[in-house]
Amino acid sequence: MNGDLQPTTDAIQRRQFIKATAMAAATAVAGGTNFTLPVLADEPAAGVQWEKAPCRFCGTGCHVQVGVQEGKVVAVAGDRNAEVNMGLLCVKGYHVGAALYGKDRLTRPLLRDGDRYREISWEKAIRIIADRIEAAPERFAYYGSGQWTIPEGYAAQKFMKGGLSNNHIDPNARLCMASAVTGFLATYGVDEPAGCYDDLDECDVLIMWGNNPAEMHPVLFSRVIDRRSRGENVTLIDIGTRRTRTTEACQHYLEMKGHGDLAIANGIAHLLIKNGTYDRKFVESFCNFKASDDENPNLHGKPISFGDYKKYLEPYTPEYVEELSGVPADQIRMLGDLFGNPKLKITSLWCMGMNQHTRGTAVNSLVHGVHLLSGHFGTPGNAPTSLTGQPSACGTVREVGTLAHALPGGRVVANEEHRQQAEEFWNVPTGRINPTPGYHTVQMWESFCTPSNQGGDIGTIWVQVTNPGQTLPNLNKLFNPKGNNRAGLEDKFLIVSDVYPTATTRLADLILPSAMWVEKNGVVGNSERRTQQWFKMVAPPGDARDDCWQTIAVAHELFNRGMDGMKDRDGQFLFDVKDDNGKSVPVWDWEHYYDVNVDEHLFEEYRQFTRLKHKDLAPYSEYVQARGLRWPVVEVDGQWRETHLRFSENFDPYVEPGKEIQFYHSSTHDDRAQIWFHPWIAPAELPDSDYPFLLCTGRVLEHWHSGSMTRRIPELSRAMPGGYLEIHAEDAAAHDLRNGDKVKIESRRGSLVIPVWIDGRGQPPRGTVFIPFFDESLLVNDLTLDALDPFSKQPDYKKSAVRIRKV
Amino acid sequence: MIASVVATLAEVGGDFQRIVDEFAAVPGVEIGDVGHDARRVPMIIESPGSSALEEVTRRLQECVGVAFVDVVFVHFEDESASEPAANPREIDKS
Repeated sequence: MNGDLQPTTDAIQRRQFIKATAMAAATAVAGGTNFTLPVLADEPAAGVQWEKAPCRFCGTGCHVQVGVQEGKVVAVAGDRNAEVNMGLLCVKGYHVGAALYGKDRLTRPLLRDGDRYREISWEKAIRIIADRIEAAPERFAYYGSGQWTIPEGYAAQKFMKGGLSNNHIDPNARLCMASAVTGFLATYGVDEPAGCYDDLDECDVLIMWGNNPAEMHPVLFSRVIDRRSRGENVTLIDIGTRRTRTTEACQHYLEMKGHGDLAIANGIAHLLIKNGTYDRKFVESFCNFKASDDENPNLHGKPISFGDYKKYLEPYTPEYVEELSGVPADQIRMLGDLFGNPKLKITSLWCMGMNQHTRGTAVNSLVHGVHLLSGHFGTPGNAPTSLTGQPSACGTVREVGTLAHALPGGRVVANEEHRQQAEEFWNVPTGRINPTPGYHTVQMWESFCTPSNQGGDIGTIWVQVTNPGQTLPNLNKLFNPKGNNRAGLEDKFLIVSDVYPTATTRLADLILPSAMWVEKNGVVGNSERRTQQWFKMVAPPGDARDDCWQTIAVAHELFNRGMDGMKDRDGQFLFDVKDDNGKSVPVWDWEHYYDVNVDEHLFEEYRQFTRLKHKDLAPYSEYVQARGLRWPVVEVDGQWRETHLRFSENFDPYVEPGKEIQFYHSSTHDDRAQIWFHPWIAPAELPDSDYPFLLCTGRVLEHWHSGSMTRRIPELSRAMPGGYLEIHAEDAAAHDLRNGDKVKIESRRGSLVIPVWIDGRGQPPRGTVFIPFFDESLLVNDLTLDALDPFSKQPDYKKSAVRIRKV
Repeated sequence: MIASVVATLAEVGGDFQRIVDEFAAVPGVEIGDVGHDARRVPMIIESPGSSALEEVTRRLQECVGVAFVDVVFVHFEDESASEPAANPREIDKS
């Protein structure tokens, strides 16, 4: 008799089976062999069904195999068949399944009622949203995310620009990679990296510009470290403002002051020209030179000659660069020598350090320029590559174009031809799309937090898949006024779709429970142009529903009310989805949403746009079979082929034969890229006698962004339970601080009481402090500055002047 | 809780057998086939819960000569639902 104490024979068999599967996974990774985890539907001892999905968290795009049993995710394994991660996962990735099962998942729509919330039906929630939009469509804004899947973002984009003629749609990605976009556009005339992760396997030198991949993109970083442990010679260089886990693995650490990167890039270019080590043939064949047009600032700038460029760079001697950046002149010379060596293959990586920067567009352009000037471009291992922090910042934000000025496929609303193309694809009347760009993120929230009678013309914001109450800069200006009973804001209405309560739902008027990750179908695009697909595997909890469905349901409610914008040219619903027999399926009705694959329908409609700027995607069915494909994906002899390296004849199908390198979206229409000169300019805020420290914010390995998912995973929460302030030991001693002591940190915008960590995870230099932003109980963005890059409109979270005192 | 990990050694060859022996001495660890690669060691970890799993992984990582330990498989079916974050913003629905 088994009783309660003895496991059953079935349980033992099942455990043995799980162990065998676990060992098979590890052995395959260790041995470098491909394998497929067994599908166990017919196995009574196990009963686990395995399916593939990209990880929910960062922009790396690791693939996982998800084990589902009895409607629940019960196991996760790295996918050995995925090129991105080859079976490995980081600490967040192998706990990703647990992110679904926090005890406080949102499961019912909730409507604010004074200081409390009451549950309401979905029907009522949809009507409330429709009421707000119908009353003032021009005062409505949609705040989305780089975590929107491609179909979700596409539906929101079409709803706003093709339906409401309203361009007030912008994503949280404005806060993380907008300057990378403008850097690519200014340089190549088209967004996103030419290279891919394969360059990490090929490069001789890897330079990380203000980047900490050991914590933020650990699987990519381990790919490089693994090469070194195999005996390969790879030089790693960390250019940063504080020592991190990445620094520990690098041969060279170049500690710079904020904005030092502008000077360093100019210093390298100076040396390449002075030493005659720039790649003359590459430059003469494939490049032009540009500088800022100060009278009319724009992304096209003004053309300059090589002589002008050389003259602008003359002051940037290693000694002058040392003065500006704090990096010793001999280390600048080392960089100059490396870039001047044509035998080396050099890859640059960057992420928030270069993007969250009031000169983000400039420094992105300068780093591209160093690669172009030195000819370290266009061959495997030679690539300037930006990384993204969200799983579909590229796929949804940059490619679908869920930005206030953009349309899908690299189109912009201000261009009449582009608008007509979109109107044609969407089959909406000519003139439906508004030619005036909407509000970018900071503008949108500032308007929302400004009384209507004082010009605050955004009355309603619908937030999906993001947490602006924690991640916007200068929260006391851009978010908190909503909750402070500020006079004049009574008419403002905040709608939030999310999976857990967050710092944003705290001030919401209406909260909608969303499905997440494998509770719905999805398609995303990672940092290396790789588009990845997965199917719904488990049901969302309670009455949580897909974000995409929410958009379509509101659109249909407005359609039912007769709003013209929700009709196409033929009077049909904007999101009319037909089944295989050509019969319309009522996908706005949740009961029928999964009668057809809405994702596939939206993806195929969107795919038309992707060919307009040579970012071609394959049919949806190809992604079902693959662990992602890197665009442009073109059909050759009946096979869909991805592209490893853009603009290079040997790899890119759009480069004309014999051209070798062709920048076919050149902004100067001559197939050339632009090498920019931008001067060094000081940060927007510098330490002074009142605020003597510079505050940098960022992320940590264990938590993903605002921590709303990872802080609900006990293993991760225990490993990194709360926020802290990193400070140099000598600064700590000067303030009589020991580990764990609390300090009050103040900026001109807000204050925070937070424990101190000396010589902890990272080591900031004297005069600087660091606080991670994952902890919603310690909102560091109460302190940060909302100064923007003039082109990308991305704020700088890395350089705010602060003061500290022990409490 | 059952997980599998791959330990990557800092150097090829080196103290391979000593390190493998050290791994094998950790309770709950079962070593896989290491015959084909003297640099990577596949292992299963059986533990009563996630805290114990973390502790075992940490012990493996701390062995001299180990470059890193990657977790490649986690079966967490027996774990109870995840707890809320340390400071969740509860929504009062009363």
